[in-house]
Amino acid sequence: MNATQTQMPVISGAAQHGAQDSLAATGTMMRFVARRNRLLLITWPVVIVGLFAYVSVYYRDLLDTQQALDDFASISNTASIKALTGLAAEPATLGGAVWTKIWMTSALLLAFAVVFLVTRTGRADEEAGRTELLRSRVLGLHACSVAAWTVIAGMCVVTGVGVSVASIVSGLDPVGSAVMGSLVLGASITGVGLVAIGVAAVAGQIAATPRAANATASAVVGIMYVLRLIGDLGSGTLTWASPVGWGQEMQPWGANRWWPLLFSLVLTVVLLGVALAIEARRDVGAGLLVARSGPAAAPARFASPLGLALHLQRNVIIGWTLTVVLAALMFGSVAPSMTELADDSAGSFAQVLGGTGVAALLSMLVTMTSLIVTVFAIQTTVTMRQDEASGIIERQLAGSVSRTRWVGQRLLIPAVGSAVLLLIAGALLGVGYASAGGDTDLTGSLMLAALTYWPAVMLLTGIAVLLFGWLPHFTIAGSWAILAAMWILVVSGDALNVPQAVLDAMPFTATPHQPLEPMAWTPVVLLALVGLGLLWAGVSRFARRDIQTD
Amino acid sequence: MTSTNAIEVRGLIKTFGQTVALNGLDLIVPAGEVTGFLGPNGSGKSTTIRILLGLLRADAGQAVVLGGDPWSDAVRLHKDIAYVPGEVNLWPNLTGGQCIDILCRLSGPLDPARKATMIQRFDLDPTKKARTYSKGNRQKVALVAALASRAHLLILDEPTSGLDPIMEAAFTETIREMRSEGRSVLLSSHIFAEVERLADRVTIIREGVTVEAGTIAELRHLTRSTVTVTIDGDVQALAALPGVHDLQQTGEHVSFAVDDAMLPDVLAVVSTMQPRSLVANPPSLEELFLRHYGQELAAMNGAES
Repeated sequence: MNATQTQMPVISGAAQHGAQDSLAATGTMMRFVARRNRLLLITWPVVIVGLFAYVSVYYRDLLDTQQALDDFASISNTASIKALTGLAAEPATLGGAVWTKIWMTSALLLAFAVVFLVTRTGRADEEAGRTELLRSRVLGLHACSVAAWTVIAGMCVVTGVGVSVASIVSGLDPVGSAVMGSLVLGASITGVGLVAIGVAAVAGQIAATPRAANATASAVVGIMYVLRLIGDLGSGTLTWASPVGWGQEMQPWGANRWWPLLFSLVLTVVLLGVALAIEARRDVGAGLLVARSGPAAAPARFASPLGLALHLQRNVIIGWTLTVVLAALMFGSVAPSMTELADDSAGSFAQVLGGTGVAALLSMLVTMTSLIVTVFAIQTTVTMRQDEASGIIERQLAGSVSRTRWVGQRLLIPAVGSAVLLLIAGALLGVGYASAGGDTDLTGSLMLAALTYWPAVMLLTGIAVLLFGWLPHFTIAGSWAILAAMWILVVSGDALNVPQAVLDAMPFTATPHQPLEPMAWTPVVLLALVGLGLLWAGVSRFARRDIQTD
Repeated sequence: MTSTNAIEVRGLIKTFGQTVALNGLDLIVPAGEVTGFLGPNGSGKSTTIRILLGLLRADAGQAVVLGGDPWSDAVRLHKDIAYVPGEVNLWPNLTGGQCIDILCRLSGPLDPARKATMIQRFDLDPTKKARTYSKGNRQKVALVAALASRAHLLILDEPTSGLDPIMEAAFTETIREMRSEGRSVLLSSHIFAEVERLADRVTIIREGVTVEAGTIAELRHLTRSTVTVTIDGDVQALAALPGVHDLQQTGEHVSFAVDDAMLPDVLAVVSTMQPRSLVANPPSLEELFLRHYGQELAAMNGAES
């Protein structure tokens, strides 16, 4: 015992502090990260692979003739589908059909899962002081980060392999060809996930809070999606500016390219290198931005729940307003060129969608912006649970503030905010559309078309409030999961063999898709009533229940 | 219910699933007095306080705060209550000064002069972001916000746990001022000296039940004072007196414990022995406390050995 102790180096010199030291105990940390997140690390691959396998098997049975595949391809070959999910390189094959339907959803699901996992294992642990506790032991500077990234990269690989296996087993590869298409497919999904690790890692180093890290990284993933959206609709140049686009351009069952994966790998390595360089320079628990001093007094309006929330959430509100403004302008300005393409290509577009190309595409773009607004609404609504979980709500409720007043004022932000954002979105879609040579008259009707989604947005907000009242610990995860599930149902529900009646009842489907469809009051009023009911049920429960901190 | 009590709690019960947090707790805080609320970690102090603030709802029992129901009258009552939590969470992006203003205005009008006085007394930099404060400084922010208010009732949950001795002195001074102004204070703590120094009355709880309550003087009747005298000559006569325990002699210094009820008789005998010095220490709350947990301590020691 004593002999071993005397052999230990007394002080390791500065020169010896190399890569080895900064990675000390990475193996232990990897086991720790895997153990602490095992449920999520298993759930995400299972969900994504399961989704993919289900669609594959369903389409194999459904599209069992070449005629069926050709029909499906011509239905898919619209500006709306190109914008929403991208179009497969060979849309008239079984693999191509499945790709068109589910590739984008799978890749984005993996990307968002990765973002939340990287933040959860990095920035969030740091904020909670757990990293500090770990780093006080024999643990390298980068051990926590590298271990987490490695484990999450492992999850991406497992997901990709799983998708490949599912594809091979479902027989998506054309008869007579090897399984190359399936392999490229799996790799293309893994590639998107890996880039997301890099993005989230850098965001986690720069941002000052876990929330900001998640928001920044999610926004970057969103930008990647929009870049390829515009690229896919136009000449395709912008598709190559997006890592999601690189995944698309691997073209499984088409060109079967491997080299775009190299772009993803290089970008991932570069981003992780940047994250490591920042981590080596900054203090634990601090972002790059140093906290400045501020005023020693607060205006009286901060004493009201609304006034304080508006102040604390101003960055979120400004950020989402900018997002909506930019997205609407961009969507609007690309719409004229897209509809020209659609009009040129065939009459099938108008026939299939039962309207003119312009109306169909603009309706789809309105739906997409309303989804962005819903994300804003959910994000500002779940801050109520975040305030409760951290216990800070008790500071306000220990003052002369009733529960109902507190919730009511806090809900004004998602309620009023989403109505205003929808109007802005509609107006700017029209402005962008007009500026790019489209029909000027549409601005007013697009504003109304967008505002029609307000009851749907409030219904999803109502679900979040219901969870907040009855299942507070499940509010945040549950609200996002339900939004994601509804969106997946809307995009891929038919491929999941979900009954049409259920799909039609989804808030975003039930809302009349103006200007393609005429205004219909019944569904809008119904959505509003259900939303009100959910809000009432959630708020009244919150007023009666115990405050539950984490 | 009489209006002379700021807080009256009887038979309070609160369970969280299988865990019984409070099991028939009684607590009285007379108006204009400082009441100490003592108990070990996990004994239910914070749960009681959160019920008194209307953050939790009691399963059974009666709680009256300033003549009202802490759950249904919360909004009205909170205008007259200032609260300092045991673990202070602040809005990380706001400065300490902003947090103080918000907390003050949430229950009543802000008194800028009093705020300035308290900030100076507790030596706080109000322009720093709450994120950058240490635990002690966050505690100071909550204290300043509570002490700067004109609340009739102060509910303080282990308020000095992060403070240094100088700040504790400032705290003691302020609480004494509050008392002289006729305000009521509920002071939860496990720092015995602090409660002993400040409190008029003490309630001791354990596992959600009140085990002792009364004025400090009343509780002392249950205990023994420690007496140290310097005496020449034979002290065996002392050891034989009723009420004297644990007599020890080191040279001419003699120390022993006396039941407080027997103290006059014992001192009469001591005075006949012409002591050159005499020091008598009243029993500390710590001793009181240990009596209630003595069994557990003994069990723990037994388990260790």
